[in-house]
Amino acid sequence: MTSASASLSYVGCNFLRQRLVLSTLSGRPVKIRKIRAKEENPGLRDFEANFIRLIDKITNGSRIEINQTGTTLYYQPGLLYGGSLEHDCSPNRSIGYYLESLLCLAPFMKHPIRIVLRGATNDQVDPTVDCLKATALPLLKRFGIDGEELELKIVRRGMPPKGGGEVIFSCPVKKALMPIQYIDPGKIKRIRGVAYSVRVSPQIANRIVDSARSILNKFLPDIYIHTDHMKGTSSGKSPGFGLTLVAETTNGTFLSAELASSPQGQGPAVLPEDLAINCAKLLLEEIHRGGCVDSTNQSLVLLLMTLGQQDVSKVLLGPLSPYTIEFLRHLRSYFQVMFKIESKPSGEERKGGDKVLMTCVGIGFSNLSKTVK
Amino acid sequence: MDKEERNSRNLRRKVAAATDSGNGTAEEASASEMEESSAEDKGESMEDSDTEESDGEDSQPQCAGVKTQESKFDKSEDDVEGLLKEEEEYKEASDFSLDTVGALKWKEGITQKAAEAFLRQQQSAPNLRKLIYGTVAEDEG
Repeated sequence: MTSASASLSYVGCNFLRQRLVLSTLSGRPVKIRKIRAKEENPGLRDFEANFIRLIDKITNGSRIEINQTGTTLYYQPGLLYGGSLEHDCSPNRSIGYYLESLLCLAPFMKHPIRIVLRGATNDQVDPTVDCLKATALPLLKRFGIDGEELELKIVRRGMPPKGGGEVIFSCPVKKALMPIQYIDPGKIKRIRGVAYSVRVSPQIANRIVDSARSILNKFLPDIYIHTDHMKGTSSGKSPGFGLTLVAETTNGTFLSAELASSPQGQGPAVLPEDLAINCAKLLLEEIHRGGCVDSTNQSLVLLLMTLGQQDVSKVLLGPLSPYTIEFLRHLRSYFQVMFKIESKPSGEERKGGDKVLMTCVGIGFSNLSKTVK
Repeated sequence: MDKEERNSRNLRRKVAAATDSGNGTAEEASASEMEESSAEDKGESMEDSDTEESDGEDSQPQCAGVKTQESKFDKSEDDVEGLLKEEEEYKEASDFSLDTVGALKWKEGITQKAAEAFLRQQQSAPNLRKLIYGTVAEDEG
């Protein structure tokens, strides 16, 4: 955390989370101008302001300046503090929006973080808590962030628009991350999933499971989809249902796909059967893309590789998502790390789409906030 | 006397062998040498030509053949020598693998083919690094 480094400047509202997270980790102040300056409703949105409050909560000594219209943001990061916290997320975005950034920051806290997040656990936009639990946590373990403390628990499920869900996330602190050599994804071993339903008929979850199996059973016998019907206070405030599917490979890679019903009173009504079939097809698409990390976690794995010890890390990814590409550019401007990017055409083997082999040398980031015991 | 001369020739040959490193120089050196030998003594031409060929320091047998053939006409006249050399240079430029064996056909323009294949490969696979990081990436490869 070099406090003397120069401030970075960006224009526009895109990739706000990335910029703030990388600023916090690198210790470089950041200035973002012209946030929705030309729109009718200019400035930061509700959920973005809420995200900034969360960053303020988990750090100590951050300086945040926002101008009156909210179109300019200046952020001077403090130290990552952690500890036991609570946060009410904005109802406009699901908890996944906040959790994605917390996963990037949590291993570098001064005290192990244990945070209670309230809001919507599942929505159609962000990766849901179920998905992150199934894919991101195994990824953290590969970097040596392990132990009983690493936990993501859904206490109450909440669907948009009213939310009412609750999640507990805790993560241990590590001094340094291990480099990874993760270039063989292996073959699909089994498929697991969760079909959840709240404040609707419990039969809907069963219909989802049947339809999803009708597609996936053609490829693989080892499929188990849990039904998760929550009742009473643990079912949140709005009705809804959805499905999260996770394919596990022989080498411990997790590829996920998910879909959720439209929020009550918004968008077209979705049949559970259609949702399940589309979700199963999305999972097949994700398997076709392949790689060792699924597309939601590409940026997380690249960040942890960058922050690892001064050693070579390699990972094989599927086609890079636009978000990941911008993340790579940000990694260069914040940490001066450039990846070696080799495209690996699928060729004769027909193992899905083209792959990309990403190689980098870690910057030897050590957790300065952590107290030496 | 015979012995002496042969010794001296051997010496010269050694010097020639030591000095030549490239192909072009090698040809010239051996050519001049041959001329000498034919002018000096014809009595032992058989034996001589044998040795000439065996230690003719070139890997291409065609060269040697050409030389022996040409050694017939040359009677150590300067203009003829010049003409010969020119002819030799011309022969050098042409590709030997073309007019000899069919097995060597695949060697035709092999560097050209490799270059084309490389360029094709480069163009078919987009340079992701350049796409992501912009033109800066080019400097570092």
